[in-house]
Amino acid sequence: MTTLSAERLTIGYEERTIVQDLDLDFIPGQITAIIGPNGCGKSTILKTMARLHTATSGSIYLDGKMIHQTPAKEVAKKLAILPQAPEAPDGLTVYELISYGRTPHQSGFSLLKKHDREMIEWAMNVTGLTDLQNQAVDTLSGGQRQRAWIAMSIAQETDLLMLDEPTTYLDLAHQLEVLQLLERINQEDGRTIIMVIHDLNQASRFAHQLVALKNGKIVKQGSAEQVMDPVVLKQVFNIDTEIVADPRTGKPAMISYDLIK
Amino acid sequence: MIKHRQARFKWSMLCLFGLLLLSCVLSLNLGAVAIAPKEVFQTVLGNGSARQELILFQFRLPAIVLAIMVGAGMAISGSILQGITRNELADPGILGINAGSGLAVVIYITFFQTAVGGLTLAGTFILPIFAFLGALLTGALIMVLSWRKGIHSSRLILVGIGINAGLSAFIIALQLRLEPNDFVKAMVWLSGDLWASQWQYVWALLPWFIILSIFALLKAHTLNIMNLGSQMATALGIRSLRQRVILLIIAVALAGLGVAAGGGIAFLGLIAPHIARRLVGPKHQLLLPVASLMGAIIVVLADTIGKNALSPTEIPAGLVVAIVSVPYFLVLLMKSK
Repeated sequence: MTTLSAERLTIGYEERTIVQDLDLDFIPGQITAIIGPNGCGKSTILKTMARLHTATSGSIYLDGKMIHQTPAKEVAKKLAILPQAPEAPDGLTVYELISYGRTPHQSGFSLLKKHDREMIEWAMNVTGLTDLQNQAVDTLSGGQRQRAWIAMSIAQETDLLMLDEPTTYLDLAHQLEVLQLLERINQEDGRTIIMVIHDLNQASRFAHQLVALKNGKIVKQGSAEQVMDPVVLKQVFNIDTEIVADPRTGKPAMISYDLIK
Repeated sequence: MIKHRQARFKWSMLCLFGLLLLSCVLSLNLGAVAIAPKEVFQTVLGNGSARQELILFQFRLPAIVLAIMVGAGMAISGSILQGITRNELADPGILGINAGSGLAVVIYITFFQTAVGGLTLAGTFILPIFAFLGALLTGALIMVLSWRKGIHSSRLILVGIGINAGLSAFIIALQLRLEPNDFVKAMVWLSGDLWASQWQYVWALLPWFIILSIFALLKAHTLNIMNLGSQMATALGIRSLRQRVILLIIAVALAGLGVAAGGGIAFLGLIAPHIARRLVGPKHQLLLPVASLMGAIIVVLADTIGKNALSPTEIPAGLVVAIVSVPYFLVLLMKSK
């Protein structure tokens, strides 16, 4: 199983430092949700650990090897990341987009081999896009489009799948659809999933592990029971929360909250 | 529809190829001396008169080969620029590459050429080299100026537009100092005249064009991924900065070749990929071949029309392309969301 960790990570944009001396570890085979208020650095950390953004200092290890010293293609065979709100060029079909996920496994002229086509078929199947494969991505609904991008990322055939707010801009039903899809990929395929997510109850319900961040620092990392705690949430979001066990899932759920004045 | 799209690609290629052949025949039989299609075929088969052979093989055929090369090259150049900037308005004209090339030519005419004698024999060979170097230098300038921890697409376009405006002003300033004869020559060049229609130029330019086009085709998949944005490209294991520089060099070199042979044909790099994208979609393995055929057809037809419409006055092919493509472009802009 592929492992990913950061050591003494410092990240900044221009002059502003967002994260300082962060140590972070993810448990292989699990779903990890990164939560925290706006501007706490959660997306930045995710992108930096997936080498889409360069850290000021510190190291990121993928399978024990420094990620920036590993060839780009090798990294892309182990780690897939879906940034927020990606855009496909007009007219690109769902099948074409998903096939792009095979890029790190291809060489030269990028012809699709048998295994490539099998992975594309599988990704279409799991995401329920087989019937839409010939449609242009830009003509799909928000939920379908997000599923197409996820299909591309899982066709990349990596142990590790990172997603930056995969449910943003989706309505409730489509949010659930995406999260259940990720849960299924984690359970059936054993892939490690790391995602940034805003909804605390969804994080609690679908993630094995939660990382609560504030000002670029980890306030608490652990199970939903450990993190969905009024004391922790007060520290992270500055809110006063009411937490109960969800009657359907048994997971901690927040039923009400107030700002702390 | 993958099958559907593949089929569409095959049909498009077949139709465009037929259309190109037809344009070539048309171009061969029209001119100051009209040669009927039947006679064209007979001459090609070796049964024509000496005069027909001279006109076809020494005058019209090299012009056609050159037109195909310029058209295809500009179309590929435009496709690449649009792919790496993710902006369908990018093309070598808008980014100032044509202007840079044009400026080099005007500088050459202004400073290195005797006013009365026109282009000397050596001059005719040095001129395209100047145009080519001008394009490469401008490309380098755009890259350096838009560099800020990597090359950002929108910055690249804005810098290009700025450079285009600056260089065009320079060109006018220089042109105003030219002798009337040279002024006209520079003007005709700048508006895209396929002047280099002799075999010697064709042989000098064709190998480069073939090498660059093949190289571009080999990079088709990289272009597909760059089209998803630089973050997505990195995520898929493409070293986007390096690839962007390589692709930019290919695009600039192809544009440089085009300008060297045919002056700055405006809008071609924009229109040809646009039509191609409507036919076969944005996947570059399909887009590049279709766009290059499209570009070739446009220039062959434009050259033929330019030479014959107002005969004996010849209109530069670039002007014909502009006259036809500007309305298309405006309609496109009005239709787009």
